[in-house]
Amino acid sequence: MSLKVDGPGRRSRLLATLAALALASSATLAACGDDDDDGSGGATAEGGEITISQSSQPDYLDPALSYTVNGWEPMWLVYTPLLTYAHEEGTAGAELIPGLAEDLPEVSEDGLTYTLTLRDGLTYSDGTDVVASDFERTIQRVLNLESGGAPFYQVIEGAEDYLAGNDPEADISGIETDDESGEITITLTEADSSFANVLAMNFAGLVPGDTEFKNLTESPPPGVGTYEITESVPNRQFVMERVDGFADLGLEIPEASIDTITTQIIKNPQQSTQDVLNGELDYQQDPPPADLKPTVIEQADDRYEEFTTSSTYYFFMNHDVAPFDDPLVREAVNYGVDKPALARLFAGELAPGCSFLPPGMPGYDEAFDTTECPYGDPTQPPDIAKAQDLLKQAGADGTAVTVYGNTDDPTPAVTQAYADMLNEIGLDAEVELLDGGVYFQTVGNAKTEAQTGFTNWFQDFPHPLNFYFLVDGDTIQPTNNQNFGNVNDPKINDTIDELSLETDLEAVADQWAELDRYLIEPPQSSIVPYGHRKLATFVSERIDFESIIQHPVYQNDYSSFALKEGEE
Amino acid sequence: MAPDDVITATAGDLLGAPGHHAEGDPEDAAVVGGSPLRLAARRLRRDRGALAFGVIFLLLVAACLAAPLWANEVAHTTVSQNHLTDTVEQDGEQVNVVGFDGVPIGPTWEGEFFLGADQNGRDNMVRLLYGGRNSLLIGVIAALITTLLGVLIGVLAGYFRGWTDAVISRGMDILWAFPVILLGIALGTSLALGGLQLGPISISGDSLAIPIMVISVVYIPYLARPIRGQVLALREKEFVEAARAQGMGSWRIMRSEILPNISSTLLVFFPLLFANAILLEAALSFLGAGVRPPNPSWGTMISEGVDRIVTAPYLAIVPGAMLVLTVLALNVFGDGIRDALDPRAKIKAKG
Amino acid sequence: MSRFVARRVISMLFVLFAVSVITFLIFNVIPGNDPAVRMAGKQPTVEQIEAIRQEWGFDESIIVQYGTTMEKLFTGNMISYTTQLDVVNEIWKGLPRTLSLAIGAAVIWMLFGVGLGLYTAMRAGKVSDRLLTVLALVGISMPVFWIGALMNHYLGFELSQTLGFELFPNGGYVEFAESPLEWLHHLILPWTALSILFIGLYSRVLRGNILDTINEDYVRTARAKGLSERQVLLKHVLRNSMIPIVTLWGLDFAVVIGGGAILTETVFNLQGVGQYAADAIGQLDQPPILAVTMFGAFFVVFFNTIVDVVYAALDPRIRLESGDTA
Repeated sequence: MSLKVDGPGRRSRLLATLAALALASSATLAACGDDDDDGSGGATAEGGEITISQSSQPDYLDPALSYTVNGWEPMWLVYTPLLTYAHEEGTAGAELIPGLAEDLPEVSEDGLTYTLTLRDGLTYSDGTDVVASDFERTIQRVLNLESGGAPFYQVIEGAEDYLAGNDPEADISGIETDDESGEITITLTEADSSFANVLAMNFAGLVPGDTEFKNLTESPPPGVGTYEITESVPNRQFVMERVDGFADLGLEIPEASIDTITTQIIKNPQQSTQDVLNGELDYQQDPPPADLKPTVIEQADDRYEEFTTSSTYYFFMNHDVAPFDDPLVREAVNYGVDKPALARLFAGELAPGCSFLPPGMPGYDEAFDTTECPYGDPTQPPDIAKAQDLLKQAGADGTAVTVYGNTDDPTPAVTQAYADMLNEIGLDAEVELLDGGVYFQTVGNAKTEAQTGFTNWFQDFPHPLNFYFLVDGDTIQPTNNQNFGNVNDPKINDTIDELSLETDLEAVADQWAELDRYLIEPPQSSIVPYGHRKLATFVSERIDFESIIQHPVYQNDYSSFALKEGEE
Repeated sequence: MAPDDVITATAGDLLGAPGHHAEGDPEDAAVVGGSPLRLAARRLRRDRGALAFGVIFLLLVAACLAAPLWANEVAHTTVSQNHLTDTVEQDGEQVNVVGFDGVPIGPTWEGEFFLGADQNGRDNMVRLLYGGRNSLLIGVIAALITTLLGVLIGVLAGYFRGWTDAVISRGMDILWAFPVILLGIALGTSLALGGLQLGPISISGDSLAIPIMVISVVYIPYLARPIRGQVLALREKEFVEAARAQGMGSWRIMRSEILPNISSTLLVFFPLLFANAILLEAALSFLGAGVRPPNPSWGTMISEGVDRIVTAPYLAIVPGAMLVLTVLALNVFGDGIRDALDPRAKIKAKG
Repeated sequence: MSRFVARRVISMLFVLFAVSVITFLIFNVIPGNDPAVRMAGKQPTVEQIEAIRQEWGFDESIIVQYGTTMEKLFTGNMISYTTQLDVVNEIWKGLPRTLSLAIGAAVIWMLFGVGLGLYTAMRAGKVSDRLLTVLALVGISMPVFWIGALMNHYLGFELSQTLGFELFPNGGYVEFAESPLEWLHHLILPWTALSILFIGLYSRVLRGNILDTINEDYVRTARAKGLSERQVLLKHVLRNSMIPIVTLWGLDFAVVIGGGAILTETVFNLQGVGQYAADAIGQLDQPPILAVTMFGAFFVVFFNTIVDVVYAALDPRIRLESGDTA
């Protein structure tokens, strides 16, 4: 029924958002009210209690396991890793800063060794001292509990051996810690310039060294953060309370304003929207459903804002299977897809686009995403005639195609619409819908030989590698393949390898943009992107809208929420 | 849930309250032959209320059967065609069928998009008629299957008694224990996953046959039990004994003596079963355990409509109103049949 | 009496066992997909699937699988595929809400159903009777999820917008402990929606029964003896007419608690046991549906057995003739 923004189960179900970038996105934003970029609002009150909602229970309330925005948005403020992101909007928020570490890591010349030092005098919310070896326990839990984030840490030396063995307490050879000096040395099996971002992921949020090896959702472990989780009743609610003395720890992370945040699980988005409208709820994590948007815009324009997330929705085309092994056919499809029509199926919460890298990602080229799209402006109707022509040229007229999609709303309608479009340009397309729980495994299995189908990706962290592994020929595998289209272009593969060694992202942003162009434009026409997802910030009248920080990775920053002056 | 009581309660007037033995009534219709039925038909003809609703029901059925006609000739579209980026002329202006924010157009009261569009840009009136076709089809076939199996099981149990009866009754007890809607959901979701493999026949999870089977199975005890009770009583009647004395085989007796005498029961039950099947299908489809998209049914339309109830309330209201009308018509007509068959009904009606 | 109880209990246990077997079969024999893959979550490795297969015994015989499933269910170890939460625990949490809905509605529909039935019986044949009968029929013909959704939206949301204050809340449930007044406030619309159907039904049944008994011989005798019309009505007619009603009420109450309220709960967002199962449908998440189905059937069987025993205690005839009732 409702739009599940968390979408079908991909490796990254994480929603990351990007707020109004000063540079980029005025074209893609629906500006509903302005927002201060620096997070300093009007007069605000300290303290207070608020009640917020999520439409589904966080997959886990355990830092090692959670891999959805439902979990990351609150837990970012409860469990701090060695590195973290600045609490800012836009590209400023994509900057890595030291978390529990004293400084950003020292990386060896060959890119294989990372050295950090833990800050002195840190304590968890329950008073326990933080020691360097806690980091090893944190990573052990991620690996041992078979977390969705485990693959990110398998690049650490010894991680494979640890996984193969059966002892949860076994040592991971690539992690060396010294509790006395607080030094932490991590050795990788291969250089990976995104590893610093990996260290900043929620999975690596430090927990005490004696934390159990099991899913602790019902009683989350203590962490270092401006909030602690004091109550957890799965599927009903959980409560976060501000930690006294957090500011004294001297971290570069701001202290929160609100004393208590109660998160209720309200499954019905219509109900939660109505509650925020009439003030019974202070904030809802999900955007208002399409049905209520006109009402919200009419009544609450000053406390509602949409923004485009760092995500891309696209259809994969299988380069190993006819007819999509023919670049002409792929080009034809790109000309024939009606992007504005698809956007309507998302109730307008999709910004039609042309690029693979999304807004907010270093390497994103707004011009290419909009007016300079090789297949025509994505906000305009498609060039069906050209598409039909190309298809005939390729001799693929009338080829039977099975279009794969899953049953999570609104994917069935999107998949059907896509199949209709393929039919219109001259193919013979039929839809095959699979249950959301098995969809990606099935299309990711080489035996399925899926010709084309629905997929999407939300950034895990603001590094192009996080997107490009999806079209890297080196990542193709027979099962659990994420490169559904089996894109295997040597130039793309080589460029990815080259750029992944560069640790200075800003310097190579242009090269990533060039790669993006190459990926999309004919004759490669590797995939069919059609847009980037939009979300919203919607709060009650009690909250000071101006001071809210919309973070590119963690969406709405609860620590920036503050009550208006005079509110209780 | 409760709709099943409609069957037990209203038909129960004829056969006695649930759980108790059938009482006197069958005697009225017990004499073999048609004259009580002809009397009943005459009474029914005089019951204008029931007749009126019978006609309404037939009109509804006709309209739904004419769905392809409407789709082709009047609306110029098909049931699954979406018109996401099409425009329609309204008051001289071109209006988007589905707006940029996803809000669909409302009723135009013209040939195309007579009742507006849904959020996928499909013609609502076309879907309503096709959905009605599906709902009615599922309802009537399920009711027929239930009747067939219910009669078979009830007659076998009531006639042969002994072990047959014990086993069958136990089976009915067990089936009876499941709340109807939960059983429907359990079966519906299980079958939706992988479809059904019956030897060489494989039915896909999307087929309409699945809800039909689920609904028909679920209602069997509601017919089998009363039939069994009736047959138990009938069995003791003189004409049956006479037939047995004459050496007639059990099956012949069942065919020529028993069946005709339960026909009035079936006449009363069938419309009620039909009505309940329609309601159950709507409920299951509403929850997602019945008809699978993109096949339309009034239940799925209501479910999709509730998501749009602020911006496009007619999407939920119209299919629901059609459901109420259809089921009401069946109920009133079923009432009329029951009144016509029950000679004392006149007294009740007049007070 | 004790023999009767013993027989009933044995019969109950047998039915419960059969219910559990059938529920198990529905979920484990019919589906075509590999349950281990479904349970392994979003990114299963071959090893994970194997591990689950072994833990749940999917590679074992059907009988062993049945045993494992039942054990998991009754020891509170059955977890949902999607939320990883213990299914029985979730049912337990939803139970107070379902009970609040069911009990309140049951009281309301009994009162109004009987009242309406009496009223129409006494005015049988008159215009008011005909009108109310039609209304009752309409009530029976209405899908509860439709009327509930409309009530929730128009009376809960739209009305509040027009009036400027919240006359009826738009769905949701407030714990009694938190605020008894709000608890009541939030249940008014759901109670009404759920009761409409039953009121229509019960009023017609009662009316029919009353009109049947009112012409019986023993009633005429009572009148001849000189009892007032009112006494006749109350002492004889009503009491006899009510018996099937009470039977029905018992059945319906059990079914509503057992899961029959699933539609009302979903539409008003009460998060009871029924809605828990309904939410699982979309994901084709089997454990909650299996558990709720069993819970529902168990409750119905259990409740009916108790009702039977109570009836038998009150009416000796039932005990004696219990030999051959179905």
